[in-house]
Amino acid sequence: MTTLLATIRKELLELRRDRAGILVLLVMPMALVLIVSLVQDNVMQATGETPIRVLLVDLDNGFLGRAVEKHLRLDGGLELIRKQGDREISEEAARKAVVDGDFRFCILIAPGTGAALREQVRRRAVESFVPTSKPAKPAAPATVPGLILHFDPAVQGAFRTAVVNSLQRVLLGIELREKGAALSDTIERKMRQGTVRFELDTEPVLTLREAPDSGGRSPRRPTAAQQNVPAWALFGMFFIVVPVSGALIRERQSGTFRRLMTMPISLAGLLAGKVIAYVLVCTAQFVLMVAIGLFALPLLGTSGLVVGPEWPVVGIIALSAALAATGYGIMVGVLARSYEQASVFGAVSIVIAAALGGVMIPVYVMPRSMQAVSVVSPLAWGLNAFQDVFVREGTLRTVGPDLARLTLFSLAALSVAWWSLRRSRSGE
Amino acid sequence: MPSDGNVPTGREPVRGDATDTGAGDEILKVCRLVKVYRGAATPAVDGIDFAVRRGEIFGLLGPNGAGKTTVISIICTLLRPTSGSVTLCSQDTSLRPARLRSLFGLAPQEIALYPSLTARENLHYFGSLYGLSGRVLRRRIEECLALVGLSDRGGTRIDTFSGGMKRRANLAAAILHSPRVLFLDEPTVGIDAQSRNLILENLKTLRDDGATIVYTTHYMEEAENLCERVAIMDRGKIVAEGSPRSLVAAMDGCANLEESFLRLTGRHLRD
Repeated sequence: MTTLLATIRKELLELRRDRAGILVLLVMPMALVLIVSLVQDNVMQATGETPIRVLLVDLDNGFLGRAVEKHLRLDGGLELIRKQGDREISEEAARKAVVDGDFRFCILIAPGTGAALREQVRRRAVESFVPTSKPAKPAAPATVPGLILHFDPAVQGAFRTAVVNSLQRVLLGIELREKGAALSDTIERKMRQGTVRFELDTEPVLTLREAPDSGGRSPRRPTAAQQNVPAWALFGMFFIVVPVSGALIRERQSGTFRRLMTMPISLAGLLAGKVIAYVLVCTAQFVLMVAIGLFALPLLGTSGLVVGPEWPVVGIIALSAALAATGYGIMVGVLARSYEQASVFGAVSIVIAAALGGVMIPVYVMPRSMQAVSVVSPLAWGLNAFQDVFVREGTLRTVGPDLARLTLFSLAALSVAWWSLRRSRSGE
Repeated sequence: MPSDGNVPTGREPVRGDATDTGAGDEILKVCRLVKVYRGAATPAVDGIDFAVRRGEIFGLLGPNGAGKTTVISIICTLLRPTSGSVTLCSQDTSLRPARLRSLFGLAPQEIALYPSLTARENLHYFGSLYGLSGRVLRRRIEECLALVGLSDRGGTRIDTFSGGMKRRANLAAAILHSPRVLFLDEPTVGIDAQSRNLILENLKTLRDDGATIVYTTHYMEEAENLCERVAIMDRGKIVAEGSPRSLVAAMDGCANLEESFLRLTGRHLRD
């Protein structure tokens, strides 16, 4: 017990005086959470989470422009900008703004598009009624000028597709409405002598809506904070491998470890003291990250972290991850032969595990082969457990398998370290 | 044993007078000790025997690579011998090493202290590991700091110490628990004359207080003045053993221990 307490005190004292270590352990993950959350919040803005600004150049100046504007505004995904100062924006200025990257894209409605659309639709409605004796004629190709989309070349594929689909949907609705009106007029004319009236309801019958409940649990909408706070907190916690392994290497190089090995202490006590000290540091790191998610991110104008009611489960996941990170750090420190080896291997292995674990890019968007590999990353287990609680309202039972993996990983790493130290102590 | 006291030509080491055999109240006994490191062609320690009496200062001398640190490491239970035995305080060190560890103290060749901690914090940690606590620990820390002349610098970080101060603090950490046997591996290397003098005086004080000291050094003059007996090692073997005076006397034309040492181990460079 004395060994344990003395070692905890010594490790914390050493760490408190290691400014570079504190920088790596506390400041780096804090900066990462803040920066990446703000950056990703912007990405989410660009992919439909909040409206993005779009230029609309309506050279048609008719019903079509008004209808497009009305539907896009109702859609809520785009904020239409029609004027530059007090004047309507010109086609040339709009193109330049997009090329310069000031706007992601612009919608150009060519002159006469609305009139041409109505004319085409009416003609087709009339031609739809063909005498039964005559064979059906193929429809003439459309000659409507249509809408033109100008994209900033830097805009990525998924975003282009989303915008094009959104506009197609709006245009389809407008066209359907026009066709319905034209068909209605034509039929009315044909049925003028009768008592019935033809009216086509163009409102959609089939609708798509997001289910409020999934698998018996009510999911929260994932935000940048829900993804980034646990992801970068885990990254920071696992980065403890650098100071932990560095401290162990320094102990060996300075001869301190040689001195410790001649003392009447147990290896298990010595290792346990180190583990507890660094688990405390990891826990403090995590609390700080969560505090940033809860309080700092909303102050900066982004959505904050929503933990939900399962605080104790979150604490258990954090402890399991801290134990895994510390165990791994101790194993690297024991097996590495130099400080350079430990710091480079430790840091690189954590970056790889973080990439595989979905810290930087969610696992579900990775290629299938990488998704298969990601299951070996302890960061993936930790992140999956956190997201299960934060987004899917998971419980201790649902995160149990991930907790078991983290615990087994830490036990395996510590066993390797203990076995290696025991061998060196007995002079083998 | 060469009868004329010249350089030994056979396997027998040079021995000083008959009273220098180490027999009597032995606190440490090393018998036919051999250590061959994995992959090494020759043994680092090649069948050595020596004994250290209770309360004496015993010097283990030798050029670089002679095997001194390996011997100290085996005695301190850091290495397992290939063959042979070590008996410390009447106990075989290979049987229950954990039990023996509180009986001796080691000041390794390196400054085995935590540089970002103060001298007092270092001593507090190591003292706690030796099972000291509370008032006893605090008293021992102050006593040890006073002994090595660091009382007024106890609250200073080790990484701000001079080389001599670090060596003295290193010694203080080894004597905190009042060990029966103290092993010092090159305790005065690379420090100024004042610090060296203080350390040597401290060792005499510790010896007078009943501690047995085994220490390795390259400084022959230091060993000649301090040690009751010395063993000179070369290539894993003991080539001479006895009191410094008797070893000098046993070799014709040698005025001091350094000349005897060079005669025994040769003048060629060692790596």
